[in-house]
Amino acid sequence: MSGGPTDVATLEPTSAPEPSPPPARRVTPREWVRENLFSTWYNSLLTVVFGALIVWVIFGVARFVFVTAQWEIVRVNLTNFMVGRLSRDLLPRVWGGVGVLALTIGLLTGLSPVSGGWRERVGNLRRAGPLVFLVVVFLSLAGTATPWFLTLGTVAVAVAGYGCARFLPAVIARRAGMVGVVGVIASYLVVSGGAGPSYAAFGGLLLTLFLALGGIVLSFPFGLLLGLGRRSTFPAVRVVCVGYIELIRGVPLITLLFMSGFALGFFLPPGMSRPELVTRALVALVLFTAAYVAEIVRGGLQGVPAGQTEAAQAIGLSPLRTTYLIVLPQALRNVIPALVGQFISLFKDTSLVTFLGLLELLGVAQVILEQPDFRGAGLQTETLMFASLIYWSWCYSMSRASQRLETRLGVGER
Amino acid sequence: MTDVTTGGDDTARDGVPADATAAKGDKMISLEHVDKFFGGFQALTDINMNVGLQEVVVVIGPSGSGKSTLIRCVNRLEKHDSGRIVVDGVEMSDDLRSIQEIRKETGMVFQQFNLFPHMTVLENVTLGPRQVRRWNKAKADEVAMKMLERVRIPEQADKYPGQLSGGQQQRVAIARALAMQPKSMLFDEPTSALDPEMIKEVLDTMEDLAESGMTMVVVTHEMGFARAVADRVVFMADGQIVEVGTPEHFFTDPQEERTKLFLSQIL
Ligand SMILES: Nc1ncnc2c1ncn2[C@@H]1O[C@H](COP(=O)(O)OP(=O)(O)O)[C@@H](O)[C@H]1O
Ligand SMILES: [Mg+2]
Repeated sequence: MSGGPTDVATLEPTSAPEPSPPPARRVTPREWVRENLFSTWYNSLLTVVFGALIVWVIFGVARFVFVTAQWEIVRVNLTNFMVGRLSRDLLPRVWGGVGVLALTIGLLTGLSPVSGGWRERVGNLRRAGPLVFLVVVFLSLAGTATPWFLTLGTVAVAVAGYGCARFLPAVIARRAGMVGVVGVIASYLVVSGGAGPSYAAFGGLLLTLFLALGGIVLSFPFGLLLGLGRRSTFPAVRVVCVGYIELIRGVPLITLLFMSGFALGFFLPPGMSRPELVTRALVALVLFTAAYVAEIVRGGLQGVPAGQTEAAQAIGLSPLRTTYLIVLPQALRNVIPALVGQFISLFKDTSLVTFLGLLELLGVAQVILEQPDFRGAGLQTETLMFASLIYWSWCYSMSRASQRLETRLGVGER
Repeated sequence: MTDVTTGGDDTARDGVPADATAAKGDKMISLEHVDKFFGGFQALTDINMNVGLQEVVVVIGPSGSGKSTLIRCVNRLEKHDSGRIVVDGVEMSDDLRSIQEIRKETGMVFQQFNLFPHMTVLENVTLGPRQVRRWNKAKADEVAMKMLERVRIPEQADKYPGQLSGGQQQRVAIARALAMQPKSMLFDEPTSALDPEMIKEVLDTMEDLAESGMTMVVVTHEMGFARAVADRVVFMADGQIVEVGTPEHFFTDPQEERTKLFLSQIL
């Protein structure tokens, strides 16, 4: 550099670039490996040991999946995995329900307030990647072309929903949450056929989803009330809520499930028939999860500064409005990860209803081992692995959706 | 102890709400023999104080002397244990309606701003008018924008509180209180949490407000503000009112030893 006319001019360039990020040094893969994996002798040792372990595990799994495993049992039972013993005549309804859900998701995607246009919207959809992977696995196992056509149709419906979103009247468009709720309910009504077959006939993944979704939808408001009640100014309310929460949290879920039949029986008026097994299982799951939701909500409430309540009161807001307009929104935003974690637990815990004799996902994975064709063939690994894949893809999707919710609601946070 | 009443207005019509016919000096806030305990600790002892319509009263005193407790009793953020508190003719009782009635007509500004972080500035300001006054959105928005202009930050309406400086946040908090169109305003150390360079913008806003005729009770240590704006200054210590007078009185001729000591520390 030729010296500038003044000292200031020559000094400035040296001081100015300082805060800007260091020049991007081109790192060759070789350099990266050396710096990160083999920087010291013990780092090298760790790299070699864990590298070998990873390779060994991947190789073992890949050999099982692609060579040893006999996927025939999964292939012929795909429909059982999906819906259990639900009458096959009702499959069109199930697909109808899936279609309604697809339409809802398409609409919601179209309505979601993102700045980056379709690129960002599609990017957001990537969070459903695990579920897409699951669908691909399903289709590759399906022997016929029908599922392919139906899946393509479902995707088309979703795209159509996305396209139609902008034509929705503003009154509806502003209430995306309502659209979601209505969509899920409509989907359920289509599957259950209104007065037709009730959920008691559900099985497989359909039952798992029903229990999980029903459990989430019912335990959330119940837990919310319990959590609020625990901080109530009325001692009686407080005692009842604390008693309930601590009682439930001290008992294993499986005992609650076993007891749900009897306990429910105590509270029903005599002469009324005992509710379906599925109902009882759902009630147990809801009672259990609500206690944990209550504790999570309480934690969130504690995190909201007292000044927030005072400011709302000072304006003249009633206690009820202060709670649902000021305190709850802040409390819940802070506990989204914990709440979703609880719901993921619930999703997996639905597998425990197997012990009540219900044929949800895990139940199906167990009973098909007894089919004449496969009895004694030692195919547990195949069925359990497949069931695990389904659980995993749903739970992982929920976890990713929660991350998105966090970033979205974090807007404007201090 | 000094009895604190506005000059000669004790004969004013008790219990008649201030309205267009009310004259400056009519009784707006009155506390009679108010005591307040926190457990066994007495935070306020026999507080007697009247604030007249359009009057500005500044409350000073050492930390822990009960200044916050005093003004928080006025809108029932703290419940007083004995004595009478009457705001604009409404006596504060356990009846929720009397509490809501008084809160509606009494704005409050906090040391920590206490804006609602999950709402935009505009939503913060319109919340009270929409939920409590039951105005429609158009009217609430219009009044809110007027108030934001009054505190000179209309351009921040769509931001979130977390995106504003402390001084801007406090001015939003003032606008939020004003949007309810209250008859009086309570300020609890509104500039104590601010960086020095932002104190002036908030004090200027409050000064404008006082000039517009708002009845105000201000807890503050900003003696410059007190001198420029206050009609009266109240000095508190240990939960009691120790001395009352004009700002001039405090600057030139404080009577009590405790007052002198305190003033020598903050001036
Ligand atoms: N919620 C409370 N519980 C117990 N003591 C309190 C509470 N609020 C205030 N106090 C006590 O009351 C006294 C007066 O407090 P405060 O009104 O905040 O004083 P100031 O605002 O003058 O600093 C202090 O000794 C304080 O510790
Ligand atoms: Mg204070």
